[in-house]
Amino acid sequence: MSATKIGDRIARVDAVQKARGEAKYVCDLSFPDMQYAYMVRSTVPRGKILNISLPEFPEGYHFISAKDIPAKGKNELWMIAKDWRCFADEYVLYVGETIGLVVGPDRGVLKELKSKIRIDYEEQTPAVTIDDGINCVGGPMFPEKNSNVMCELFCEKGRPMEEVFAEADEIFEETITTPYQEHVHLETNSAIATMEDGKFVFYASAQCPFYIRKSIAGLLDIPYDDIIIRQATTGGAFGGKEHFPDVLCGALLVAENVVHKPIKMVFDREEDTQFSVKRHPSKCIYKSAIKDGKVIGVQGHIYYNCGAYLSSSYVVLQRGVFHGNGVYTFPNTYLKGEGIGTNTFPTCAFRGFGAPQTLFAIETHMDHIARHLGVDPLEFKMKHICKKGDETTTNGHIIEEVKLPEMIDVLTKESDYRRKIKEYKPGCGKGIGVAMYNHGGAFTGNGEQAIIKAHAKLVKEGEKVTILVGSTEMGQGFKTSLRKICASTLGVSMDNIDYPDPDTSKVVDSGPTAASRSTMIVGKLVERAALQMKERWDEGDFTVEVEYEHPEGYPWDQSTFRGDAYLGYGWGAAIIEVEVDKLTNEVKTVGIWSSHEIGKAIDELIVHGQINGGIIQSLGYGSMEKLENKKGYFKQKSMSDYVIPTSMDFPKQFYHIQENPYPWGPYGAKGMGELVFNGASAAFVDAVERALNTRFTSIPIPPEDIEEALKNVQ
Amino acid sequence: MEQVKCFMPQTLAEALKIRKEHHAVVLAGGSDLMVSNSMGAGITPAFNSPVMILTGVKELKGIRKNADGSVSIGALTTSAEISRSEFVHPLLKDAASRMGAIALRNSATIGGNIGNASPKGDMPQPLILLDAKVILKSVSGERMMKVDEFILGSKKTALADDEIITEIILPPQEFTHIFYRKIGMRRANAISKLTLSSAATVKDGVVVDFRASSGAAGPKVARSRAAEELLIGKKLSELPAVKEAFLDAWNGVISPHAMPEYRRNTTRRMLAYFIDALAAGHPEGRVE
Repeated sequence: MSATKIGDRIARVDAVQKARGEAKYVCDLSFPDMQYAYMVRSTVPRGKILNISLPEFPEGYHFISAKDIPAKGKNELWMIAKDWRCFADEYVLYVGETIGLVVGPDRGVLKELKSKIRIDYEEQTPAVTIDDGINCVGGPMFPEKNSNVMCELFCEKGRPMEEVFAEADEIFEETITTPYQEHVHLETNSAIATMEDGKFVFYASAQCPFYIRKSIAGLLDIPYDDIIIRQATTGGAFGGKEHFPDVLCGALLVAENVVHKPIKMVFDREEDTQFSVKRHPSKCIYKSAIKDGKVIGVQGHIYYNCGAYLSSSYVVLQRGVFHGNGVYTFPNTYLKGEGIGTNTFPTCAFRGFGAPQTLFAIETHMDHIARHLGVDPLEFKMKHICKKGDETTTNGHIIEEVKLPEMIDVLTKESDYRRKIKEYKPGCGKGIGVAMYNHGGAFTGNGEQAIIKAHAKLVKEGEKVTILVGSTEMGQGFKTSLRKICASTLGVSMDNIDYPDPDTSKVVDSGPTAASRSTMIVGKLVERAALQMKERWDEGDFTVEVEYEHPEGYPWDQSTFRGDAYLGYGWGAAIIEVEVDKLTNEVKTVGIWSSHEIGKAIDELIVHGQINGGIIQSLGYGSMEKLENKKGYFKQKSMSDYVIPTSMDFPKQFYHIQENPYPWGPYGAKGMGELVFNGASAAFVDAVERALNTRFTSIPIPPEDIEEALKNVQ
Repeated sequence: MEQVKCFMPQTLAEALKIRKEHHAVVLAGGSDLMVSNSMGAGITPAFNSPVMILTGVKELKGIRKNADGSVSIGALTTSAEISRSEFVHPLLKDAASRMGAIALRNSATIGGNIGNASPKGDMPQPLILLDAKVILKSVSGERMMKVDEFILGSKKTALADDEIITEIILPPQEFTHIFYRKIGMRRANAISKLTLSSAATVKDGVVVDFRASSGAAGPKVARSRAAEELLIGKKLSELPAVKEAFLDAWNGVISPHAMPEYRRNTTRRMLAYFIDALAAGHPEGRVE
């Protein structure tokens, strides 16, 4: 077997098994005496539970609820805060909140039992939208603060905004909103709880096995070591399985403690659509000071709808605020973020983690200012893009060379952008749009150093090397990338490297599989461990373990949000060309061109797949994925009314990868999984605006919304 | 859990007898019924009456051209087969070829699509424009009626509890111009937001036939002979003068409950476009 090189094009190690249907997901696993569980959920958005009346449960069937949490345990899941209750008790805060589980051997009997459970509520008026939350509709969710604000922050740079607005030639203000988005991972949420040698063992479809263990142990007040989380093959996640598996596993742990038999819970697609976490809807009020044809100051008020519990919302909001200026340097900025509590299903991580909302807002805002000034949006934007050494919104600095001008050069040539903007007159039905975006790699600020302290371990047995990390394969290709990094560093074949699905009792904690950090951070750890192993290769069988080391000289203060929020960004640009059918307002995308700077592509095939998928997902977000919440209930309930793009909706893409090796990543690589989602929706909207000579301040824009926008123009 | 009583007849005679005796729900491709009665993975679907799976009844499959030029389509013929047939009118092929995804088109049948009578069903819309008829059989005989009469409203049909839809008959149609659009939530594998078929026959500069039908525009497919009569018999040169009256009349026919403005405006723009194309002497064939 020849040694694997980093430049090799590798067929993904999990591809054949998954394509042939041989991979075993949670729903494929079965154990002797298998029991099943369904969630009994709140059917009202806000209210007191007056009474729960149960039908008679046959022998072997159980109703598990808050009453089954032992006295020493606490009814809380520890995500980032501990506010999310495992089982709602006394009151409910949103439709779909877990009240209990029905558990037993026959799924038909369970469904029947579930249908006969009657819960009486004293209903209260819910706050549903961001505006409801701001106005404390139905009374404040946090009476001690007399407010629904769950979390907030601001960051400022330059001079006070009043001064800046006073000297402006004009001020341009608008409100831009973005919607909920559902992850639609191919595999729905699912988990199995069982017992082995007195320990609680879970098989979970999950991104972060160690998160689950930490989150649920307090329910029974047991040590982490009494819980083992084994990741099962995970069929997609996109952030939807970062914290949310805690909600399934927590309830299952309480049930397992009563039932002591294997219990399986698999969500149906309709459950997953209505009763799982979503992307945060946002409302961004941007007010810009313009002088001599340039933006000299931006004030942004950024609201995210967090739903009823915090989950990861504060961190999501921080990332949203830190990305609030997009790829631009404005001399003066004030960005304030508020996470608003509402009586809706909690929102949580979703590819981009808060950045896509503000990036959409600032890109669209810049387009609108440019058109208002009568200049080409791209030319206008290029006058503002940041460069190495520029001060960021958090008073840190851009550390790397910014290659956007080179990338835009490639894309404008490939797409024939400059000819087309002359040829396609505003409103002619054809349009070409452009957006630029970035994504800060890994955890914000010193999170990698202060909070995660990631570890990685390599075990050598003969010629075989096993990678022991908590990082997970969820379809993104990490098993391939990490084995490739390890093999090429050791100078051996990938076939000699094993990387089993993590089991928290066997691997070290390399941190969550999130924040585009796996290749950049864990890849680097494995590279470092492999270099050490290579030095000692002839010593026989041994183990190497390494810990994350933070580069010196990049300060961050988490209490004031000042300093270098990220140690490097991925950068992207996308050009989208559309034709709008004037009879039906259907938009046909006829061209997609993108360029991404991710340091170095560890595997071009995987990167290409991520680009294709990320851009299509972003175009779905901008064009068709409509998820509305009416009075606390999601209106779209399945994959036939919540639609995501198919391969028929968008054309083949041109993609370009800009190299710019990153000093602290393996082989120069940075994160890229989220970056590729962050901008195409803004380019799409720009293109449609040009084609129809109109303006949109919200997404998505299906034909009926375009009809509405055109009516308002006329 | 109670099990569902399930019959799998192999002949039509057998099927009619079961239908008479047990009033079993007729399941053809299952692409509607298995979804609407699903209880989730691992649980028997919640049919509250016996079910008869017709898949084995070969007599109800296939498409043939009759001596009088009409075309007979067996009720168990799938959308995929219809979309490939050389005998089937292009408007019906358009509708069949854009139903759901490939897997669904390989199982969903024309009989099921009519019998389900969803306002958003794809095939009833062109069938009603084409004046297609449906044959209903029972142990005691046979009835034939227009699809437009068979479908009474949303999920309501004239099917008696001892009858089975056995065949659909397309009368011969020789239009000079046709127009078809389906607007879904995306370009493939989508339930219709709106569909429209329109067809005309122009002879020596005179509109001798004109038809339109709107799907997903009310409880059932909308068609109006009275509105169509406004254009029939008119010279092409007279069309611009009567166009608005026709469009207003058509607007009165459709009753879209959701997205009313978008559906009304889009239908109006599409019909206006088709009429304008006729008036401008569009060559025979499909108006794109």
